[in-house]
Amino acid sequence: MRILIVEDEPDLLRSIAQALREGGYAVDTAPDGEDGFYKAENYDYDAIVLDVMLPKMDGWEILKRLRKIKKTPVLMLTARDQTRDRVKGLDTGADDYVVKPFDLPELFARLRALIRRSANKTTNVIEIGQIKIDTALRNVSLQEKPVELTAREYALVEFLALHRGEVVTRTQLYEHLFDENESSLSNLLDVHVSNVRKKLGAEFIVTRRGHGYCIE
Amino acid sequence: MKIFKSIKWRLQLWYGLILVVVLAGFGLTAYQLERNRQFRQVDDELHRRIGVLGNALHHPPPRRQDENEQPFDRPPPGQFPDAGPPLQRNRPLPEFNLPSWDAHFFDTNDPHGYYYVVFGTEGGGEIARSANYPNHEITSYSSDFFASVNRFSQFPTPATKPPRMFNFDNYRETADVLPSGETIWVGCSVLPELKELHRTALNLTAIGGLILLIGLAGGWWFVGRALQPISEISSTAVKISAGDLSQRINVAEAESELGQLAAVLNSTFARLEAAFAQQQQFTSDAAHELRTPVSVMLTQAQAALNRERTAPEYRETVEACQRAAQRMRRLIESLLALARLDAGQEALKRLRFDFSKTISDCAELVKPIAEERGVKIFTTLEPVEITGDSERLAQVVTNLLTNAVYYNQPGGEVRVRLESQGGMAIFTVSDTGAGIPAEDLSRVFERFYRADKSRSTGGNGLGLAISKAVVGAHGGTIEVSSAENVGTVFTVRLPAV
Repeated sequence: MRILIVEDEPDLLRSIAQALREGGYAVDTAPDGEDGFYKAENYDYDAIVLDVMLPKMDGWEILKRLRKIKKTPVLMLTARDQTRDRVKGLDTGADDYVVKPFDLPELFARLRALIRRSANKTTNVIEIGQIKIDTALRNVSLQEKPVELTAREYALVEFLALHRGEVVTRTQLYEHLFDENESSLSNLLDVHVSNVRKKLGAEFIVTRRGHGYCIE
Repeated sequence: MKIFKSIKWRLQLWYGLILVVVLAGFGLTAYQLERNRQFRQVDDELHRRIGVLGNALHHPPPRRQDENEQPFDRPPPGQFPDAGPPLQRNRPLPEFNLPSWDAHFFDTNDPHGYYYVVFGTEGGGEIARSANYPNHEITSYSSDFFASVNRFSQFPTPATKPPRMFNFDNYRETADVLPSGETIWVGCSVLPELKELHRTALNLTAIGGLILLIGLAGGWWFVGRALQPISEISSTAVKISAGDLSQRINVAEAESELGQLAAVLNSTFARLEAAFAQQQQFTSDAAHELRTPVSVMLTQAQAALNRERTAPEYRETVEACQRAAQRMRRLIESLLALARLDAGQEALKRLRFDFSKTISDCAELVKPIAEERGVKIFTTLEPVEITGDSERLAQVVTNLLTNAVYYNQPGGEVRVRLESQGGMAIFTVSDTGAGIPAEDLSRVFERFYRADKSRSTGGNGLGLAISKAVVGAHGGTIEVSSAENVGTVFTVRLPAV
């Protein structure tokens, strides 16, 4: 899962990004509106955390422009909790709203819910045969026995599971699993795929030659 | 009773009362006039008949003996007393002979039924009476009664004084005493007149009632209309007291007294709303400013506590928390300073000091920051003594100088000037920055207002508001003028000693 955070307060930006990365997300950051909009426009993020008060271009403007071209889920961060601000945010096309000061666990829960909703899933648990993926607890079990996955491996499984039945290209996987700062080697993905196959069974992830990967 | 406390009802009550009195007055007068008219007609008829009878008494018509005499020329036998045996009296009763051409005056078919009775001289007995004479008690014509009858000096000259009229039940009578001593009574039934008057009274009552109803309805409508603005004012006031300050009274007639009242109230409401909005904005802005550093501390702490960290990581977290806390402290200090200045609680020192010294000290303090940004500060200071709180004023100077440095361009200049002019110390700070757009210029002294919408300069948006409050507390003024891409000039005027 790749997430963009647009926030002008550097300390806040750094701590949210750090916590999300530790949770296995690929995170991009933008310190102002222009940079934020440029990134949101050019990458397909799984979700965007967007502050309202930003230098150069404010959150409303970014949202308005972005909604004309993309449906990326957006979670607005704001210090104003007046109803009219929330209404404005939701009307402009924001998918959720978090008022500062917020708790990190709540922010993450809302982000997960946003991503789940955008993949048309209503529950936290995705079941594929003997395999159960709990997107809230971020763990995977095989025949009711928990399977140890690294954060990146989990992200790979979750992304494929959320796009079950679709063929996911390697480019897509790179875009959603690695952030802009990682100069990932091209075989890093193959390593993750083979590790997941070792842990969950070889036939869990199907390779479509020349296309990508798929969970059926 | 609530109903009697309502102005509408009280007005209506008084109005109704006055209307009833006026209508009753008019109605009674009209009735009286009509009654007088009717009776005057009756009276005229009666007087005419007295004349006729008087003539019949003293100038009896010659008896016509010819065969052609018409039956109606003579009254029927027994009709007149002259047909009966003469009454024995001291003196002979005069002859009474009602000529046939006058008999119609006493026609029994007349609905009025005119009748007469003629007496001789006082106590002389009855000479004649008509057949339709109602049976009044003879005592009615007592001597007292005769005494009250008008006596005319001459008959039949019309009365100089209207003759007295008498009413018995439904009859009206009048009498006349002839110079020769005989008394003639003539009367008639006034039943038709009474009936007519009764009808008139009914008509008048009906018309009066109708006018009263129309008047009351009209009054109700009119009073309601006149009081309409009041009910509008009160319904608006109710909405406002319920918390909707955006409500205004609809002023239709601006010229009327109530319209003027409504306009005054509207402007009061507008000021109230503005004050409330300002207060709300201030509170929300203050909360907003506090929220960001709290978010930083919270997320930093939560992210750090997620797992074991290395010492440098903890250090970084603590430093971020410290920065956020410092920011909150600055904000809280600013808010407190403003609140105290607002409440007038801030005890300003009133000491005499040289303002130029304060300014040069502040300029020294700001210099390192200016140099960091490649901005040069030039000072032209003329010693001016002022009275006030040098610490507070130093804050104002520092604030203006740091603003001039922060909003300048690299390599720019800040010119600081102090001069004495007309008993005022005039302190100006001009920069060579990008300037402030005209639409923001009037608002720069507002609390939390930032021409630059981002928080990139690290200020909290209260500096100029506090400066303005401090200068104001010293009896001075602060002004700003700006030209885009040329620079901004702040001018502070303080009373010199």
